Amino acid sequence: MNEVLTLLKPRIWHARKRGSSKANGRSGARVFLLGSFGLLFWCGIFAVSWRVLVYFKGIEDIGDILGFKLLSMMLVVSFALLLFSSILTSLSKLYLSRDLLLVHSLPVSSYKIFIARWIDSTIESAWMVIIYTLPVLISYGIVYQAGIFYYVNTMISMLCLAAIASAISTLLVMTAVIFIPASRMKSVFIFMGILSFVVIYLAIRLSQPELLVDPEVFDTVMVYITSLQTPSSPFLPSSWIYDSIRSALSSSISSSLFFTALALSFTGMIVFALVLLADAIYFKGFSKTQNAPARLLKKNVVGDRIFNFLPGPIKSFTVKEIKTFLRDQTQWTQIFLIAALVVIYVYNFKVLPLEKSPIRTVYLQNLFSFLNMGLALFVLTAITARFAYPAVSMEREAFWLVKTSPLSIRTFLWIKFFIYYFPLLILTEVLIVATNILLQVTPFMMTLSTLTVFFTVPGIVAMGVGLGAAYPDFKAENPTQTITSFGGLVFMIFCAGYIGLVVLIEAGPVYNLFMAGIRSKVISLSAWIWIFGSFILVLILSVLATSLPMRFGERRLSELQI
Amino acid sequence: MIELTDLTKKYGEFQAVNDLNLCVKKGEVFGFIGPNGAGKTTTIKMMGGILEPTNGMVKIAGINMYEAPEKAKSKIGFIPDRPYLYEKLTGMEFLRFTADLYGVPEAVFEATALKILNDFSLADWADELVESYSHGMKQRLIMSAALLHDPEVIIVDEPMVGLDPAAIMMVKKLFRELAKQGVTVFMSTHTLKVAEETCDRIGVINKGRLIAMGTTRELQREANTTEADLERVFLNLTNNAS
Repeated sequence: MNEVLTLLKPRIWHARKRGSSKANGRSGARVFLLGSFGLLFWCGIFAVSWRVLVYFKGIEDIGDILGFKLLSMMLVVSFALLLFSSILTSLSKLYLSRDLLLVHSLPVSSYKIFIARWIDSTIESAWMVIIYTLPVLISYGIVYQAGIFYYVNTMISMLCLAAIASAISTLLVMTAVIFIPASRMKSVFIFMGILSFVVIYLAIRLSQPELLVDPEVFDTVMVYITSLQTPSSPFLPSSWIYDSIRSALSSSISSSLFFTALALSFTGMIVFALVLLADAIYFKGFSKTQNAPARLLKKNVVGDRIFNFLPGPIKSFTVKEIKTFLRDQTQWTQIFLIAALVVIYVYNFKVLPLEKSPIRTVYLQNLFSFLNMGLALFVLTAITARFAYPAVSMEREAFWLVKTSPLSIRTFLWIKFFIYYFPLLILTEVLIVATNILLQVTPFMMTLSTLTVFFTVPGIVAMGVGLGAAYPDFKAENPTQTITSFGGLVFMIFCAGYIGLVVLIEAGPVYNLFMAGIRSKVISLSAWIWIFGSFILVLILSVLATSLPMRFGERRLSELQI
Repeated sequence: MIELTDLTKKYGEFQAVNDLNLCVKKGEVFGFIGPNGAGKTTTIKMMGGILEPTNGMVKIAGINMYEAPEKAKSKIGFIPDRPYLYEKLTGMEFLRFTADLYGVPEAVFEATALKILNDFSLADWADELVESYSHGMKQRLIMSAALLHDPEVIIVDEPMVGLDPAAIMMVKKLFRELAKQGVTVFMSTHTLKVAEETCDRIGVINKGRLIAMGTTRELQREANTTEADLERVFLNLTNNAS
């Protein structure tokens, strides 16, 4: 056990050091800012779940059923999240981390290394899920006026859930690594996970769940209640946790203790089985991981000649960027995810019940079209955060190649900008045009939204590339996660502010122009000046949003010492 | 060909390189030796334009690195001590990437790349992803890429790390041949035997200061030793300095 603790010490020291070094100066400010946002989010979850539960509690007959159904669903989702997160974390911690070569050279048996790594992996994969389910569980406790037993029991139950999910995932990973190399396994799991998510997401959305709240669809209330009361599988660990928490809420302590004991005994059993299996096969799997990864596609998908019209340095980076992007299988899955989101996004506009609204359809259509500009730009921000923001960090430790090449940092950043700008512009314009066609908006709104998006996309992409360059992390194991850093937060805030300002500046003039068109009124000269001035202001704002972050990124990246 | 004037680098209070003045002629192989943390890699990074000096100047082929960095860098073939590359490109694609970056004409690229890959025993691996290469193979690929655009200056940090004996022999021979063709080679190394066998002149750096410079014979005199072994000379010089 001492050896396991020793193996965990570097992790503990690292956490402690991070805590102490971030207590002062700029890092302290970052922690404070991120912590404040985290806390705000936590309080938000608490407020929403408390409000929903109070509302449910007030509904006669089915209030408790709805509340418990919500609890059951939340636990199933948390369990699924824990499983997926544990798969990825245990793969990294047990097979792919860079320090594993050193750790395995130490005079410690492999099962002890495994135990230390598994504990580390469980904590890392579960802490966020646990922390953000707490506000929901606390609100249950408050609304159902539960005693101290509920809180203690819930804490133990949730820890069991995390340990069980981590153990199941690790069992799966450990067995699979024997057959597929770990380096490929990560891509396979991410691919499968996201594909399943996309399929389920599409299936749920296209089945129009909003009809469930339409009482006309149900023949009788009884059918509705029966459908809600359908129990979940007794073999699911989340069901035991649910039964335990539900019994604790209903003050049935003996029943609650039974289910907690069931969860605890299963946790003990599965962890024991896990360690036994690890003793037999963990090292074998780790050993296999050291083999060189085979290339999935030998054929060259991207022909270099397509880009021959570009100057040499620009061509070299463009080809490199596209090839590395396409060969990283984890990126493909993100494309599936985006495609699914786009389909759902457009579909939502198709099923909007505008004709049921008491407001005239023509107003609603054009109002939605105007608001849709903002929405589409927020979707663009999310995609930029995923692809353009980590673009500079994606150079990883090969960034020395850029620094020593006869290419200025400015050119390098603008190449990155254009690589992401064109596809993102096309995507956003497709979103806007498709939804506008579905909304049957006026030609004026169609022109306005396509033009606004055309001028705003460069600003958002430039903020992504520029701020990503200003706050790069070349040593990150997964550069796409850099968006969760301080720079990512700054990017999100700036984008939200920028989009908000554009929508705000255009709202007045657009309303004036639109109403004048509908009522066939003549617009006064002063109104024209105001309208013209507003659009010029948006244009200036867009130029500034494009140039300033790029300059900031260039300055910071040039000063960066590697 | 390489000119370092009053080159200084400070990391906060710590002085990594202190007033370094050095001139390396065209066609010369210059060795840069010193104990760990002496300032070798910092100097090399400043020469390659990766690191900005606190003070002083670097001139490559008469071009000031900080006035015209792109022009100066186009004259250099830079080989770092750790072979970080784009793992998702094949060896040949990485060479094409470098060729496009440094403006190697398309007409000569294919033949030159194949010849260099052959010289470095990488021809069979040309179409494999870099992620499947060993450490030594990556190091050889970086060397291949550095030579692709016929640089006037080669700056290399620890060239022999990770190479097998045959590759070490080949690299030593290559540097000598390049020097004969007028290429200037500046290399830092811990392998004193390599410095002794390959370099025309050697500079010894300790605690950021250049404490001795000259041929092996001149260094022996300076270190008050008659022994032919550069190891003894190095130890005498660095011990005296500290």
